[in-house]
Amino acid sequence: MLTKKGKYGLKALVHLARLPIGQLAFVGDIATGNNIPKKFLDAILVELRNAGFVQSRKGKEGGYRLARPADEIKIGHVVRVLDGPLAPIPCASRTRYQPCEDCNEATCQVRHLMLEVRQAIAEVLDQRSLAEMRDIAGDEDLSVALEIQA
Amino acid sequence: MTGRANSIVPNSIVPNLIIPNSIIIVGGGASGVVLAAHLLKSPNPDLRVTLIEKRPHFGQGIAYSTLLSAHVLNVSAAGMSAYADDPGNFWRWLLERGLATPEQAPVYAPRSVYARYLKELLDELEARETGRLRLIREESLSISPTGSGVEVALANGTSVVAHLAVLATGHDEEPGAGQGHAIRMGSEADTALDPEARVLVLGTGLSMVDAFLSLEQRGHHGDIVAVSRRGLLPSPHRKGNPIKLDVADIPLGTQLSYFVGWFRNLIRENQKAGIDWRDVVDGLRPFNQKIWQNWPSSAKRRFVEHTKAWWDIHRHRMAPEVYARVTEAVQSGRIRLVAGRVVGITAGDGFTVQVQSRHTQNIETFEVARIYDCTGIARDISTTSNSVVRSLVDRGLARPDPLRLGLDVSDNCEVIAGDGTVSAKILAVGPLTRGTFFEIDAIPDIRVQCARLSRRLLG
Repeated sequence: MLTKKGKYGLKALVHLARLPIGQLAFVGDIATGNNIPKKFLDAILVELRNAGFVQSRKGKEGGYRLARPADEIKIGHVVRVLDGPLAPIPCASRTRYQPCEDCNEATCQVRHLMLEVRQAIAEVLDQRSLAEMRDIAGDEDLSVALEIQA
Repeated sequence: MTGRANSIVPNSIVPNLIIPNSIIIVGGGASGVVLAAHLLKSPNPDLRVTLIEKRPHFGQGIAYSTLLSAHVLNVSAAGMSAYADDPGNFWRWLLERGLATPEQAPVYAPRSVYARYLKELLDELEARETGRLRLIREESLSISPTGSGVEVALANGTSVVAHLAVLATGHDEEPGAGQGHAIRMGSEADTALDPEARVLVLGTGLSMVDAFLSLEQRGHHGDIVAVSRRGLLPSPHRKGNPIKLDVADIPLGTQLSYFVGWFRNLIRENQKAGIDWRDVVDGLRPFNQKIWQNWPSSAKRRFVEHTKAWWDIHRHRMAPEVYARVTEAVQSGRIRLVAGRVVGITAGDGFTVQVQSRHTQNIETFEVARIYDCTGIARDISTTSNSVVRSLVDRGLARPDPLRLGLDVSDNCEVIAGDGTVSAKILAVGPLTRGTFFEIDAIPDIRVQCARLSRRLLG
């Protein structure tokens, strides 16, 4: 499940991917431009920096920029860093497994199917780069992209 | 997709080259034999596979030519099948011949037994595939692209042609440049030695362990000084069950420190639950290539420089019996592990070797009768002693990968030329492709690579 944190992080990265290579963006500008609470964004950007997706510079002229070209950053890689293992429901993860109180994991058919679903999520998100996501203009392009996938 | 497109085109105008009918495999060691076995699974009656090996025996290469019974496989028998889709093949082979019993598992079979397994496998293929498989015992000198395929020139002055050639030349036979006076164990230069003589070994990994076992076998009981940057000894295997992971669990494409932090945590959490670290390391194995391929080049470089030595001693382990012998020798002082680097070698009656300690920076001097090169299998490919690989690089038909671990190849095993063009006719498998596939030295990985390549080439 993509959390708010994951969504905001991706939006911030798209923001950075639109800038000319090497140009820094102020956190405040990213926050207002994308409707993200600034404090939350600060925390998200620190995590993205620790994982090596963005770089920061301190001071008056400081800010954030992408650490690598946008076509090298895969969406699935970013989502794992911000939201943890890709999983449609909390019990469908191997490393961050959270059992449901109301079912038996060994026999739960829902969980088995969801384990398959997460593979599919990984396949889609690990194929798509930040550059591709940035270049999705709107609904029209999305439907074209979906046709290509199918 | 291709299949559907072909079916609407009359057969006569489908170019022959869409499916290559003739394939030369240069190198008949373990990777070459495993690849041939996978290619010959194709039902195509017109397929021609030519396997070229310069050694007298196929299926041995450097790894499996040892006759020493103490030189056992570093992977248990359950993981050593030649076939990706039949993982129990080698284990059954052992059981059928009474070379192991079911309750013995895990079994670390002698490498000479594995060579016999590959030999029998190839003998069977040769008997069955009289028209489709051809074995040539000769050294290959060069591969050249031609209009319709490739031509492989042999040392006897003849040449062989095919649609494409796959390099499976494996590890280098000669010590790396800059190893000075060091020789390889078992090479011609490795003449009789005073059993009391002290020897120096460059490297403290699995190759050093092999050297120690060989020396013991020969009745040598002098001191062994083993030097590597960190002086780390590989860990022993233990019976276990790898943890289950999915690709969705594993952080990909991050910088190295982030990944290492995640992995350490994963080990810690599992250890708290009573699970051995080996089961975590082994649980990651199916994803190692993917992790490597998704890392930015900075992470790859840092890994090779700083983390690989630690990774290797946990990931590439030895049989428990062998570990017991080595640690006993270390405890008794017979083997001395030194973390440091060789800063000077003077040749006289023997050699005077100066080693600078990693920790104290002090220089210690050792008088030794012989220096063995056991620095392992990774070395700069542009200095290879293999003439085929060398001539490809010299003519710009191939180039080292960015980290110089092997040849630059595509994800489909196609060799990449000096100018960046991807060759459709010259391919590579096994250790040569380390730059792209990372862990591709052991049978469990090589057989998967060979199975995929065969499917891609022959459908």
